[in-house]
Amino acid sequence: MASSSESGMVNARIFEDLQTKIDEDAEVREQIRAILQTLERQGRHAQSALSRAHSTPAANLQPVIAAAESSIKEQIESIRTLSSVASNFPYYKYISTATVIVYVKFSSPIYRYNGLWTREVQNVIFAVLLCGWLGGLPMKDKAAEPGRLLTIEEVGEILNVPVNLKDRDAFHISIEEYLQSLISLIDELARLAVNSVTLGDYQRPLQISQFVKDLHAGFQILNLKNDSLRRRSDSIKYSVKKIEDIVYDLSLRNLVPK
Amino acid sequence: MSTKASPMSGVKRHHDGIQKEKGAGASPSPFMPMFETFRDELDEHHDRRERIIKASRDITAASKKIVRSLKSEIPAKILSEVQERSVAMQNQFESIAPDLAGLNAWRYQRQISGGIQEYMEAISFQHYLRHQSLITIEEAAKSLPATIILTADDYVLGIFDLVGELMRFAITTIATTGALPGTQSSSGEHNVLEDLRALRTSFEALDTTSCGGTGLGKDVGKKMEVMKTCVEKVETAVYGLTIRGSERPKGWIPDLGDQAVAVESY
Repeated sequence: MASSSESGMVNARIFEDLQTKIDEDAEVREQIRAILQTLERQGRHAQSALSRAHSTPAANLQPVIAAAESSIKEQIESIRTLSSVASNFPYYKYISTATVIVYVKFSSPIYRYNGLWTREVQNVIFAVLLCGWLGGLPMKDKAAEPGRLLTIEEVGEILNVPVNLKDRDAFHISIEEYLQSLISLIDELARLAVNSVTLGDYQRPLQISQFVKDLHAGFQILNLKNDSLRRRSDSIKYSVKKIEDIVYDLSLRNLVPK
Repeated sequence: MSTKASPMSGVKRHHDGIQKEKGAGASPSPFMPMFETFRDELDEHHDRRERIIKASRDITAASKKIVRSLKSEIPAKILSEVQERSVAMQNQFESIAPDLAGLNAWRYQRQISGGIQEYMEAISFQHYLRHQSLITIEEAAKSLPATIILTADDYVLGIFDLVGELMRFAITTIATTGALPGTQSSSGEHNVLEDLRALRTSFEALDTTSCGGTGLGKDVGKKMEVMKTCVEKVETAVYGLTIRGSERPKGWIPDLGDQAVAVESY
């Protein structure tokens, strides 16, 4: 390089600077990835705690909720770390330009632009939403109560991060992430409706049915483009149908509680 | 169908049988206000995104036209045409600058990235023809509106394309004038092949393995191969010039057709 750079074509500093930028970028990614690994593990804990709701009658849910809440508390801590690291850099930088190599192994070889953390964040939001729906996570001004939907603002309050930021660049929860997690919640509630019947709870499917229908109505007014949100939201109608079938089965047999 | 539906006779229907929206009647979803906010936000986002994609395409087209008309001497007519297009391109950038302000600069980076890379190719070529040197990232960034970020990735990928442009420039000049474009200065001869080699060595030294399959790492492999082929094409052309050039009568035009086509189609 020495002899050619003397010719004046390439100022050696240009490529030195580029190398520095590339290396710094890789370092940040490493840092974030380490946090995400922790989040992933905690996510599995929360998920398995919440899964027990499927085999636990509504009346005995308290220990399940308590276990989920303590898992979520750990996740909140990791989100705090992630937020403090990520807020040093443009929020969308690592969302938009990064491919998550970890996931590529498990999925199609096509590069997936999942963003570095959006998937893990969606998992956390989902855990919060489900725990809240089951009757956990009481808020200061809103008592815990089964069947309630935590708004994006409430999720932000629980996770202690801003939501839908527009005026400044920092870590936050985006509307898309919240909606993605809502779809996961709907999927999970469809499963819960089936399992409630197995547990002899004929009331909860009705509650789930109304809740999911209301959400479905909400999703229908969104003008979604052909993106991942669109593709996933297409699955809502199948969940709605699944739950309707359960309600139909119950009412056919006169099992709907009066 | 109609008999099956009869147990649900309470449902109101339009004349064409489609069930009427329940929302207007008895119990609208309690989540509607929330979703209405989401809808407005998402619409805004999609509109912005589409504006940026369109501008990126227009910038790409303008850049390509500039590159095509730019040649060594830059006659006045072409210069004014290039300037005209540059102004149009600047206007494009200005028009989307607000959409790319603050937080949104990175949000829509992928949408504008293509246009910026083409723009980089055009202005780096223009810069080279004027100064015979590689434009720096700072100089390039300065030519863009302040809110639009020039990422290192786009800069590098644009410069990779510059190599292809320099190759075309070198080959065409060799074919039409029988000499490799370059300048004589106090420090000695300085020609486009040396510059291409300087670029090549710099690129080869750049270590992008840390990017993994992300951003730059994704595109560099392919671009690197193309870049090397380009440099080699010029090397071969200069070889031909050296070995056969002396035998050639002045004013003789080489087998332009074939070579020119092969180069252009590349």
